[in-house]
Amino acid sequence: MPPPRFPIPQGTLDMLILQILSLESAHGYGIAQRLEQISRSVVQVNQGSLYPALHRLEQKGWLRAEWKESETGREAKFYSLTRAGRHQLAVEKDSWARLSGAVNLIFEEGSR
Amino acid sequence: MIPLFNWFRRSFLERGLDRELQYHLDRRVADLSASGIPEPEARRRVAAELGLVRVREEVRDVWLTRWLRDFIYDLRFSARSFLRSPGFTAATLLSLALGIGATTAIYSLVDQVILHALPVHEPERLVLVDWDGDDLITGGIGSSNLMPYPICRELQKQTRLFEGVLCRAEIQVNLTAGGDPRPVAAEIVSGSYFSVLGVGPALGRVIEPEDDAAPGAGSVVVLSYDFWQAQFGGAANIVGSKALIGKQPMTVVGVAAAGFRGVDVGAVPAFWMPTSRYADANLPTNDDLLNSPTRWLQILARLRPDVTPGRAQAGLRPWFKAWLQDSTLRPGFPTISADRRRAYLASSLEVTPAPQGHSPLRQSLSQPLWLLFAATGVLLGLACLNVAGLFLARGSARGREIGTRLALGASKSRIGRQLLADSLLLAVAGGVLGAVLAPLAIRGLIAFLPQEVAANALRDTLSIRLLTFAFFASLAAGLFSGLAPALRAGGDGLVNSLRERGGTGFGGVRLRKAIVTLQVAFSLILLIGATLFLRTLTGLMAKGPGFDTSGLLSFTIAPLENGYARADASRLVRRLDEQIRALPAARSAATARFAVLTGGHISNKVTMQTDRRTVTDGSINFNAVSPGFFATLGVRLVAGRDFDQRDSRPPGEPGPHSAIVNQAFVKRYLAGRNPLGVLIARGGGASNVTPNSIIVGVVADMSYRGVRDQSEQVFFPLFNSDDTGATFYIKVRGASEQAIPSIRRLVREDDPRLPILWFRTLDDQVNRSLSTERLLAALSGSFGALALLLSLIGIYGVMSFVVTRRTREIGIRVALGATRASALRLVLRDAVTMIAWGVALALPCVAALGKLVQSQLFGVTATDPATITAAAMVLAAGALAAAFVPAWGASNVSPTDALRLE
Repeated sequence: MPPPRFPIPQGTLDMLILQILSLESAHGYGIAQRLEQISRSVVQVNQGSLYPALHRLEQKGWLRAEWKESETGREAKFYSLTRAGRHQLAVEKDSWARLSGAVNLIFEEGSR
Repeated sequence: MIPLFNWFRRSFLERGLDRELQYHLDRRVADLSASGIPEPEARRRVAAELGLVRVREEVRDVWLTRWLRDFIYDLRFSARSFLRSPGFTAATLLSLALGIGATTAIYSLVDQVILHALPVHEPERLVLVDWDGDDLITGGIGSSNLMPYPICRELQKQTRLFEGVLCRAEIQVNLTAGGDPRPVAAEIVSGSYFSVLGVGPALGRVIEPEDDAAPGAGSVVVLSYDFWQAQFGGAANIVGSKALIGKQPMTVVGVAAAGFRGVDVGAVPAFWMPTSRYADANLPTNDDLLNSPTRWLQILARLRPDVTPGRAQAGLRPWFKAWLQDSTLRPGFPTISADRRRAYLASSLEVTPAPQGHSPLRQSLSQPLWLLFAATGVLLGLACLNVAGLFLARGSARGREIGTRLALGASKSRIGRQLLADSLLLAVAGGVLGAVLAPLAIRGLIAFLPQEVAANALRDTLSIRLLTFAFFASLAAGLFSGLAPALRAGGDGLVNSLRERGGTGFGGVRLRKAIVTLQVAFSLILLIGATLFLRTLTGLMAKGPGFDTSGLLSFTIAPLENGYARADASRLVRRLDEQIRALPAARSAATARFAVLTGGHISNKVTMQTDRRTVTDGSINFNAVSPGFFATLGVRLVAGRDFDQRDSRPPGEPGPHSAIVNQAFVKRYLAGRNPLGVLIARGGGASNVTPNSIIVGVVADMSYRGVRDQSEQVFFPLFNSDDTGATFYIKVRGASEQAIPSIRRLVREDDPRLPILWFRTLDDQVNRSLSTERLLAALSGSFGALALLLSLIGIYGVMSFVVTRRTREIGIRVALGATRASALRLVLRDAVTMIAWGVALALPCVAALGKLVQSQLFGVTATDPATITAAAMVLAAGALAAAFVPAWGASNVSPTDALRLE
């Protein structure tokens, strides 16, 4: 029996996509697989919400997309980070670190 | 912006998304199959985890945003439903297109004549500087806001307040540039003109301060861009070429920037020349215009950025006071009474914002244009009410559809938005149609306008401003006409609308009655306006100019503009006068210095010597005429005699002079005494005026400036001073068309290069002078008719609706013994109530608007009871007839039929 999985917190999907693409460009299915692996099946990503998110990020100018040959030899739509996207990732990482730090602080405060 | 862009490439986006999702599906299925799951099972599972339909929808929301997508779907739905009911669509579109087209056309003129700022650098800082008070020097040269040149020069030193000061006057000269001489309008301007306005050259250079530095300095002209294009095809080698202004050779040094047409909307200059060359500008004076106090220019100034017109006006006061004091000490200052002197010294300079420049056309046209604009606004409102009414009627028919949609879970706001999309789509379509109609309408309007210049000065093209206006007018119309039905859709109970029988659901009778009441009120206002203007026009036409225009021709020559010396010009006029009189085609002929009925005139006060010396309190219009003038025009001689050859004597020759006055003059100034023998003279106030002309005759009143004109007039004999220009009046035998060639030949034989101006019949001249009145009457008449039609349709519609709803009630009443007549009365009572309320609403509005139109009327007051009663009767009769048709049908219903309807 697999461990119970958490639905991904609201708003974090965009950040995760940016993080994955900061390493290398990937197509939608690739990103879905990476999300699966990285979260070690702890976090549940609804595959249906991946594509709207990708298109939203592309429209905001954080991602750029191009059709390229994939590892299977078929054409796939590869996404990669733009300069603005890289900047956005830094901003989100920073605010995430501060938020989780603050939450941790509150928990530690409470457990003492 | 991106969503809109995406809308246009949505099929491309869709294909991309399909491929992308297909790739995902195939890979996922392949992976699952590889891990041992059979393919059909894998496909099913993948489809479930991805949720293809939802993904597609959500991605589309990203592309277009939710709001835009819904709105686009609404619009499509609206368009489809409109195409299904073409009659309704055509009626609403036509209403809106007429309303928007008319409003846009009138707005175009309002914008061009009244509102449009000059195409110059920061026009909002331009001000007009005008004399406020008694300026002593009477009879300036030009139209309005006239100032003497020395003040302009002095103002240029007020650099604390002004960045720069310019002066300009409009002139008419004969220009010879690569062809025959032709009369053109031009501007004579100070050297600062172009730099103050911030207008540069398109070619060569503009007029600069050096050109204007000394009298006669710069013999240069700068062509206007339009003139350069039209006359020289935009040839670049025009710079440096010679042109003759009158007979004076001048050098073309440049072409002004495209789009710049001077500072006067009504007069488009062909070229500009510096004030230093005033002697070549064909001005009717021998004064040293650069130093004399003669008023002949308008002064415009550019304020410093931090200076308001009020501050500039206050700032000029001390300087101007000193200047006034100083000017009284200068040689040549007239001797005046102590009162006049005080009044003169109390003068001040008035500084008013002039971002639109200076325009006499604006002054004369702005009131009629605003009136028409208001009328079109009312008309547009009426069209909107009509569309709102039609929408409500359609809403009734769609009641079940909307009820069903509500029952299926559509929110009320969603339905309301759908209805709003309907009206917006319709309004924009109406707006596009209106914008297509507008240029045609504008062209028609310009043809109506009085001044010949209006034809050159006003354009019939659609500008961005105009399109913006049309767009917002349509949007407002759409919102206005769609709002009521949309609100109704939100407010009506769901159960009610489903329970109603087909066709009669979705009531709103009260709303529709309110709409019709407003329509009645609006159309009554327009009808009364139309009647008033129609009565003004017919009144003026019946009054006529005070003389017999049949078979009467006139033409004008201006020999000075063609380089004639004054004495030669005078001889030419006299020679032509004699020759025309001798023509076989001429029954009689005469000559006047100033043409009548052209709007122009010359006026001044008159000093009279009876038993004491008196000066008229108002200005008297003057003209100089040859013997036989009154007989030729058919103006009755009331007393005394006409001029004869003895009266024409050259200036300076001793002996008494004669004058003829009209009845209005006698009535006002010489009432109760014998006017014959009284001595009069032009001019008043200054003591050096000696009354030395004997009144030898009194003539009946005739129009001078225009048909409306009922002024006091004094005539002097022609040919007793230098008569440098003249208008000839010829009463012809037979058809006037046959006389024209012989007269033309006569002038051409004398001087082939002299242009004949305004060769036309007096009938034509009378028509032209009534153009503003005709414009108002024709437009307000058509607006009134249109309004009447719209409101009759409205009444008919609402009454048919009411009757349908009450058929059963009427049937029962008839079954119980009510007579046809009482059934008819029952229905008509509704209509009468609406009409009465409409009239009651309109009357106070008419009273309030009356003040605005009064100055445009003639022989009728704005609140003339007969006019108002007549208009109200016409409207009421039409409306009752429109209501009677459905009411008659209802009263004829047989009780059994009415009850079977249930």
